[in-house]
Amino acid sequence: MDPRHLTELQIDALGEVGSIGAGHAATALSQLLGASVEINVPDTRLLPVSEVPMVFGGPENLVGAVYSRLLGDLSGALLFVLPRADLLALADLLRSREPGSSKSLGVAEEGLVVHAAGVLQSAYLAAIARLTELAVLPGPPQFAFDMLGGILEFVTAEIGMKADSALLIVTRFLSTEIVVDGALFYLPDPDSLDVLLGRLGVV
Amino acid sequence: MASVTEIGGHWADPDENTVLVATGEIAVAEHPKVIVTPALGSCVGVTLWDAFARRGGMAHVMLPTPSETRLDGLVNRFASIAIPALVEEVTQGSTIRRLVAKIAGGSVMFGSENGAPSIGGRNIIEVKRQLALLRIPLVAEDTGGAHARTMELHLDTGLVVVRSYRYGIKDL
Repeated sequence: MDPRHLTELQIDALGEVGSIGAGHAATALSQLLGASVEINVPDTRLLPVSEVPMVFGGPENLVGAVYSRLLGDLSGALLFVLPRADLLALADLLRSREPGSSKSLGVAEEGLVVHAAGVLQSAYLAAIARLTELAVLPGPPQFAFDMLGGILEFVTAEIGMKADSALLIVTRFLSTEIVVDGALFYLPDPDSLDVLLGRLGVV
Repeated sequence: MASVTEIGGHWADPDENTVLVATGEIAVAEHPKVIVTPALGSCVGVTLWDAFARRGGMAHVMLPTPSETRLDGLVNRFASIAIPALVEEVTQGSTIRRLVAKIAGGSVMFGSENGAPSIGGRNIIEVKRQLALLRIPLVAEDTGGAHARTMELHLDTGLVVVRSYRYGIKDL
């Protein structure tokens, strides 16, 4: 399905999927960190491709990103994005160190964040899989630290968001112990939208 | 509750002489304008410059050809459509012999290239094919790799400035 042809009802239903996935992911992240993690209500939006890089701080904003392609009955991608300061704060949380201890983004910090993103993504997907009774698996997570625009552009092109609109289901996570503010983007492949909407009963 | 767009503020600092090119779009301008496209990932930025007229244009190409998709949308996101269209707009039907091209982008942002060429790699191939078909010399390029680039075309000198987090500022 072309994302541009989605109705309000369908977008709301997809937002609900995101909301449930996000709830599970926040619980998993809280358990992993031993700290409370809050989420905001996910933002589900349909954006022209040209505007995708304008989301979340603008295209030249430097961010760490963990990208997983989805395998199984629903294809698409999950992308976890953290600005640099939040990435270092998350690494401190994961190492049980004083906030502000991690000063640079090394291999160790990168590894920790990839692990955390993997947990987050698995929890999110497990919720979607249960809701839709579909098998959805995350592919191997891959890390990049670069301009947000380039990362989002690559992801939208690579997974087949080849229409001129992309559907983004965005969740923001906020840890309250020290501030870690990240976003998870769920980008369903247009071909998988029909399957997903069918399972939700809003074709 | 903050929505996503409230988080970030704006990007770059465009002034009245900056012409911004978004993903999948093309733009044409004359000196003293500067044409900019931010954060090329797998996309390829293509600039054309006419030294005599100090006029030029830029395309931000996302995919090689329309055969990549059956969904319609911005036609200028395809190299095979955007480049001839850009040439047409820069020359406005007059001679294209004065044009020179420079390109940047086409990277693989995650992981490495293995097996079949990535979208970035195929974008580079198609862009070069289109320039060759139109007999426009490709005088400089900064392509491939695994990093994002911002590309600027200065229409007074034809200088192309490529900025990246990893390699800083390069002049093409």
